[in-house]
Amino acid sequence: MLDSVIAAETPEGILLELRPAGLSARFCAFAIDMLIRFAILFAALIVASMLGGVGAAFGFIFYFLLDWFYPVAFELGRDGATPGKSAMGIKVVMDNGLPVTPAASMIRNLLRFADFMPFGYGAAITSMLLSRDGKRLGDLAASTIVVHQPRPAPKATLDMVKPLAPAISLSQRDQSALIALAARAPSLTAERLEELALMAAPAQGKAQGSPEEITRRVLGVSQWLLGRRS
Amino acid sequence: MTPLQFEQLYAAEWNELEAELRYILEGKRGSKKRAEPVRGERVAALYRRACEQLALARARNYPRYLLDRLDRITSDAHQAIYQRREFGWSRVRRMFLFDFPRAVRAHAVYAWVSAGLFFVPMFLFGWLVYDRPDLILSVTSASEAAEYEAMYSDAADSIGRMRDANTDWAMFGFYIQNNISIAFQCFAAGIVFCVGSIFFLVYNGVAIGGVAGYLTERGYSETFYSFVVTHGAFELTGIVLAGAAGLRLGYALLAPGRQTRLQSLTQAARESMVIVYGVTVMLLIAAAIEAFWSSARWLPLTLKYSVAALCWIGVFAYLFFQGRRAD
Repeated sequence: MLDSVIAAETPEGILLELRPAGLSARFCAFAIDMLIRFAILFAALIVASMLGGVGAAFGFIFYFLLDWFYPVAFELGRDGATPGKSAMGIKVVMDNGLPVTPAASMIRNLLRFADFMPFGYGAAITSMLLSRDGKRLGDLAASTIVVHQPRPAPKATLDMVKPLAPAISLSQRDQSALIALAARAPSLTAERLEELALMAAPAQGKAQGSPEEITRRVLGVSQWLLGRRS
Repeated sequence: MTPLQFEQLYAAEWNELEAELRYILEGKRGSKKRAEPVRGERVAALYRRACEQLALARARNYPRYLLDRLDRITSDAHQAIYQRREFGWSRVRRMFLFDFPRAVRAHAVYAWVSAGLFFVPMFLFGWLVYDRPDLILSVTSASEAAEYEAMYSDAADSIGRMRDANTDWAMFGFYIQNNISIAFQCFAAGIVFCVGSIFFLVYNGVAIGGVAGYLTERGYSETFYSFVVTHGAFELTGIVLAGAAGLRLGYALLAPGRQTRLQSLTQAARESMVIVYGVTVMLLIAAAIEAFWSSARWLPLTLKYSVAALCWIGVFAYLFFQGRRAD
């Protein structure tokens, strides 16, 4: 299986699809968070330096909190994502698809220290590359997972195409393949769309015709399958 | 039924559920206010129907956009309905009245091993340095050693201070940052098959023992011990317990018993986290004592030692006996 989708079963008997985020997305999120943390720390230290002794206490405590609890605060407060993560469209959830719990968020972020070892997040990178679902040590211990937030798929109706009844009876698989083709049509180049549509040529029944016409007729069949009749 | 008919038939329900969910999930952040409360029963009913419809849509191979929409609705509803709230005062209260001391007793073996790893090197190295003071240079630099000497010398106007940061508040912040970070490191590093926790326990034991031995040999024992003895009750115990939690993590991987290593690790993490919460609070108390009480030179020594004795007895009594009756 090339697909990395993980199914989490709910008590209602449906499978929630979780798409684990890989190394690159998580690295970018981490880099963004790093910059934000530096900016916050810098601002806080400027404020602290103006306040004398209490300011120094504030500076130390703030540095400590930022160092260990920056991700915890955002994961619990903002739908499981630090600003860097939400910029990359990823978030932290529990293995079973539920929102991350306070204890789990604490565990995964305290163990960040172990993930950092021996240097430069070596343990985290090794663990993420070895595990199927891209988990670092903290994720393993906390049973959390970092997933891509689903992006809505484009709607599969093409209003300018006239629906056309299929010429042969189509299996469920063929039907859904044709509908998926219509959904992808706007994002394909004309040549690629023709190439794909010609493979489905038998469905539209006309043996001869220009590639453009066949393509239009195949898309017409897909609109019929969706349920449009006019 | 064609996909479009299916969508037309149920779209009203989906829109309703989506609106409710948007209100629940965003209302949590306080960005949207609405007069009427969330209709929990209705949301649950709509959620169950959406689950059915998703199963139907999948079985019928409906187009991707329909499945995606139902997927998103059900997973949002699932998150909203099965949310667990672990905050709240009653939970914090139960934590410190029962859960923390009990967790420590349940991990008694780890705690004693951790104490051994911390205190044995501490006393051994302290004794060695007392015997041959130049050995202190193997754990600190010469300038640091001189600084320690200056901090605890009779001339210093408050004890245990670095010269450049000299207010109680600044030190309070520094102790919190430094000590709790050390505790977290002792815990987290344990996941590497205990090795990390053992390292940090022994290392910190040796460092503390070395300084103690050095200052004793120099003749600053009175200022030094009267300084450390009170907050040590919380601080040293806290570090040892953090190490114990780390050892639990590592041992769960080394000897998972009848579980898989992963199951064993997640269970160990969940159970040892309780200790880490407790340790964090112990170290906050230690930081406050260290900054505002231990460093005060004007307090009579007898008072300091009596309070210290009370602290040690209190900490141990708490760890040994608190919450036992409800066991």
